[in-house]
Amino acid sequence: MKPAPFEYHVPDSLEQALALLKEHGGDAKLLAGGQSLVPAMNFRVVQPGVLIDLNRVSELAYVRQDGENLRIGAMTRERTLEIDPLVAKQSPLLEEAMPHVAHPQIRNRGTLGGSLANADPAAELPVIMLALGARLKARNVSGERWMEAHDFFSGMFTTALAPDEILVEIELPPDLPHTGWSFMEVAPRAGDYALMGVAAQVTLDENGRCRQARLVYLNAGDGPVDAKEAAKILGGEMPNDDVIEAMAELVSRKEINPFGNIHASSDFQRHLAGVLTRKALKQAIERAGEDGLQ
Amino acid sequence: MASQNIGQSIPRIDARSKVTGQAPYPGDLAMKGMLHMKVLFAERPHARVKSVDTSQAEAAPGVVAVYTAKDVPVNEYGLQIPDQPVLCGPTLTSPSGRGDGVRADIVRFVGDQIAVVAAQTEVQADAAVKLIRVEYEDLPILSDPVTAMKADAPILHPDRGDSNVCVHYKIRKGDVEDAFAKADVIVESEYHTPVQEHAYLQPEAGLSYIDEDGRVTIASGGQWTHADRAGIAHALGLPEEMVRVVYPAIGGAFGGREDLSVQIVLALATWKLQRPVKIIWSRRESIIGHGKRHPVTLKAKWGATKDGKLIAAENEIIGDGGAYMYTSNKVLGNSAITSTGPYFIPNVKTDVYGVYTNNVPGAAFRGFGAPQALYMAELQVNKLAEKLGMDPVEFRLKNALRDGDTMGVGTPAPNPCSVVEVVEAARDKFGWKKKRRPKAAGRGGAKNGLPPIVRGRGFAAGFKNVGFSFGYQENCWAKVEIHGNGKIEHVVLHHASAEVGQGTHTVMIQMAAQALDVPTNIVELKTSDSATQGNPGSVSASRMTFMAGNAIKGAAEAALAKWEAEERPAIAEFKYLAPRTTHMDEETGFSTPNFAYAYSAQAVEVEVDTETGHVRVLRVVAADDVGKAINPDLVIGQVEGGVVQAHGYAVTENFITKDGRVLTDQFSNYLLPTILDIPEKVETVLVEVPDPNGPWGARGVGELPFLPYAPAVAAAIHDATGVWINEFPFTPERVLRALGKI
Ligand SMILES: Cc1cc2nc3c(=O)[nH]c(=O)nc-3n(C[C@H](O)[C@H](O)[C@H](O)COP(=O)(O)OP(=O)(O)OC[C@H]3O[C@@H](n4cnc5c(N)ncnc54)[C@H](O)[C@@H]3O)c2cc1C
Repeated sequence: MKPAPFEYHVPDSLEQALALLKEHGGDAKLLAGGQSLVPAMNFRVVQPGVLIDLNRVSELAYVRQDGENLRIGAMTRERTLEIDPLVAKQSPLLEEAMPHVAHPQIRNRGTLGGSLANADPAAELPVIMLALGARLKARNVSGERWMEAHDFFSGMFTTALAPDEILVEIELPPDLPHTGWSFMEVAPRAGDYALMGVAAQVTLDENGRCRQARLVYLNAGDGPVDAKEAAKILGGEMPNDDVIEAMAELVSRKEINPFGNIHASSDFQRHLAGVLTRKALKQAIERAGEDGLQ
Repeated sequence: MASQNIGQSIPRIDARSKVTGQAPYPGDLAMKGMLHMKVLFAERPHARVKSVDTSQAEAAPGVVAVYTAKDVPVNEYGLQIPDQPVLCGPTLTSPSGRGDGVRADIVRFVGDQIAVVAAQTEVQADAAVKLIRVEYEDLPILSDPVTAMKADAPILHPDRGDSNVCVHYKIRKGDVEDAFAKADVIVESEYHTPVQEHAYLQPEAGLSYIDEDGRVTIASGGQWTHADRAGIAHALGLPEEMVRVVYPAIGGAFGGREDLSVQIVLALATWKLQRPVKIIWSRRESIIGHGKRHPVTLKAKWGATKDGKLIAAENEIIGDGGAYMYTSNKVLGNSAITSTGPYFIPNVKTDVYGVYTNNVPGAAFRGFGAPQALYMAELQVNKLAEKLGMDPVEFRLKNALRDGDTMGVGTPAPNPCSVVEVVEAARDKFGWKKKRRPKAAGRGGAKNGLPPIVRGRGFAAGFKNVGFSFGYQENCWAKVEIHGNGKIEHVVLHHASAEVGQGTHTVMIQMAAQALDVPTNIVELKTSDSATQGNPGSVSASRMTFMAGNAIKGAAEAALAKWEAEERPAIAEFKYLAPRTTHMDEETGFSTPNFAYAYSAQAVEVEVDTETGHVRVLRVVAADDVGKAINPDLVIGQVEGGVVQAHGYAVTENFITKDGRVLTDQFSNYLLPTILDIPEKVETVLVEVPDPNGPWGARGVGELPFLPYAPAVAAAIHDATGVWINEFPFTPERVLRALGKI
């Protein structure tokens, strides 16, 4: 099918884009990589009256070190995140997750901002943002505001962005010393949205005790699911199999709320959460240990 | 002297036009003044149509015509029997007064059609369809064939008897009870095979127009020009000469284009309006609108002696025919023939039932009933071998059909029968050695005992008829023109066969060149036009190389004789008639159902992730006896394509319906394997045991490589995990449940 008719604007600058968005408000949609929006328009699930194409707003596409933080423009392509050396250095978790996002052809077009604004509970990038403690910057014609990743995602395909706001930048803080990471997921076919996935970050102290842990799940509820209770179990502990097992149990039984789909029951998704939790924690802990610990 | 055209991998004659996008597919066609058509599908599995109100649609912008049941001259069609209304509606009798094959007021599946709109633009047609008001009375839905077989089930086709059972075949050979008493081992199991969607790249589409001779002409995808023409002419109440079917490039078929889809309604609108009309179905319309591979329930009890001889097989096979017959009678007949596998079994009792339900109709699909029956037969063989402690390949070789051995139907397959050759070829190429390592842990033990990743290997064989079966007098037409003076300068071959992507047109040119001893580049092919060519039969049953080859040979020989008698140009037609076959006897199945077979065997290696349930196929060795590979690269293409399609069937696809409604109605949830999911390595072994009636010895290949794959993968999963999984596809969740992990 083809999309319903719409008015098309292609601004060259962020200022123009913001002005257009203010003018057309709720009737307008921003077009980033189009990898989620265009299929939805073709199926006529969404029928915006106005389309504001951000692809010429080149000032929104960058990856830049700013002191100890990394700043990434919202129009940065997913493929860039996969290969950019600054990303690999600052956030190996993000680098590790990227090959799981769709297929290379889609990553060539899809953007970081588009994926986050789209807020698909099965998407990788929102989960990574939570796991890394990212901050997100939005703008409208009158100013800007910063949000914690936690506050940005407000539910299934919904975010805290107002109709006149554009997500412009993502700020990634550096990992603490002795931090290990792991991203793992299980998809029906290679490149599909995953049935279950987990991003794990584990920081150890000098003695090898867990200082801080974070486990965030995709397709486990109506947004990225931060398993805080399970993470707490590890806090202050020397990691061992019993603790990991307890965490896996808590996550798969209690902390996630997967819905199942026609190909997979929620029981199966819970089983996968347990399997992935065990594997990802082991890998993250091992990597944290490799980072200069005895 | 003989030129070397046979056995050469010349490039496909359609390769360049398809790769460059120049080849016109039905969806690419356009004509001046053409209208666009949209269909109103019933979207409900079982209902009585009480009224259809088209007044608003007729008044909508751009609408030129709206047609309903009352406009179809003979409102019925069907490749085997006319049991489907072209359009469903309250009108009970066709306007022409002819045709009483089916009650038109009953909707029997979601893809039944109520009305069509022809408008200036597609958007207008789409908008108008939504303005048609239909009043339905919903009726009880029969979505399960076993329930539909019960005496108190509502009858879906009351005018065809008082049962929903539309097919019943019996095979009775020897005495199974007596043989079971003598058997040392017996294996009893129940199997379930899934629906499969053809998923051809190009959804149903077509353009209809009035040609220069006043004929209503339909350019669409199809598999058999002349059968399409007959069905269209019947429904329009026109003589066949007034209807013309031409095929542009066709984007795949796999059996799914044997039955009509868009053709009759296109022709109806063009005939009434005397204007060109075009339609393209969406993917969703294609998925709900055309027939599927039959889902089948199979119960088997097989016995063998301790020295490894199969002595008895008792099978009950129930195929879900869906709402209409399509080719269920032939598909399930083929399930009956193949239900004993390519083995000699002295005592056989098989019952095969086809049942009407409110599901999307079961239809022709690569393998045509054999993949389902062979899943059962091959797993029975693997399980018996295991019980006997025998190697499954050795067990197969012990029981393989050999020349003169009778099949279930009581007569031998025509010589030479090459089961042994393909089994040995697959075994040797794979490097299959008898087992030394101990068996993997069984169910229960599997839960704790298996490492995260386990590997296993599996073996299966198969066979399939080449050509139409059961007493149909197989035939195929060709015409050859030889032009030139002293020597042959130019050859024109006329043949209507459908190029659905398999390469038939290239192979036909090679065969014509060989028959005339000329190079292929002076042979021109005129094809796929029912008005100027004779009946080719369908591209199905792996038959076209065999049938067309013989027709071309005959025409070429006759034309050469005229050429030698100095006729210029020398032109000859020929209609090849294949050896006769017979119907299955109603009580015993005794028959000579086919005149040719081809044989296949595969060995596979798989990896199972026992934590996530994923099955990866690492290696496939496929040995296929094609008689003679006219174009080896094209044969290998068929083998690799067949394996990939079978991988989808066996592992990823998982077609799901609920109460007659299709849940997997998009490619986003019908999970075709991608390049990243298919087997990592497919090795083809071409076996060439010539068929005495085949052209240059050729048998057929289209369906063969599909057949052994699912049971071979099942056997490999068992080898890896110790668990038999009797139902597929082997989705991760099904595998984990079988392992007792969820
Ligand atoms: C076949 C396929 C498989 C896929 N598989 C995966 C997968 O496995 N994992 C995964 O995460 N994703 C997957 N995707 C989605 C892909 O990652 C998308 O690119 C991404 O979700 C959206 O990014 P985009 O730049 O294409 O956004 P668009 O489609 O252009 O936009 C998405 C939404 O975000 C809004 N938007 C875009 N940019 C901004 C902005 N700067 N500020 C405010 N709103 C904005 C748009 O208005 C729209 O509503 C898949 C897509 C396809 C087609």
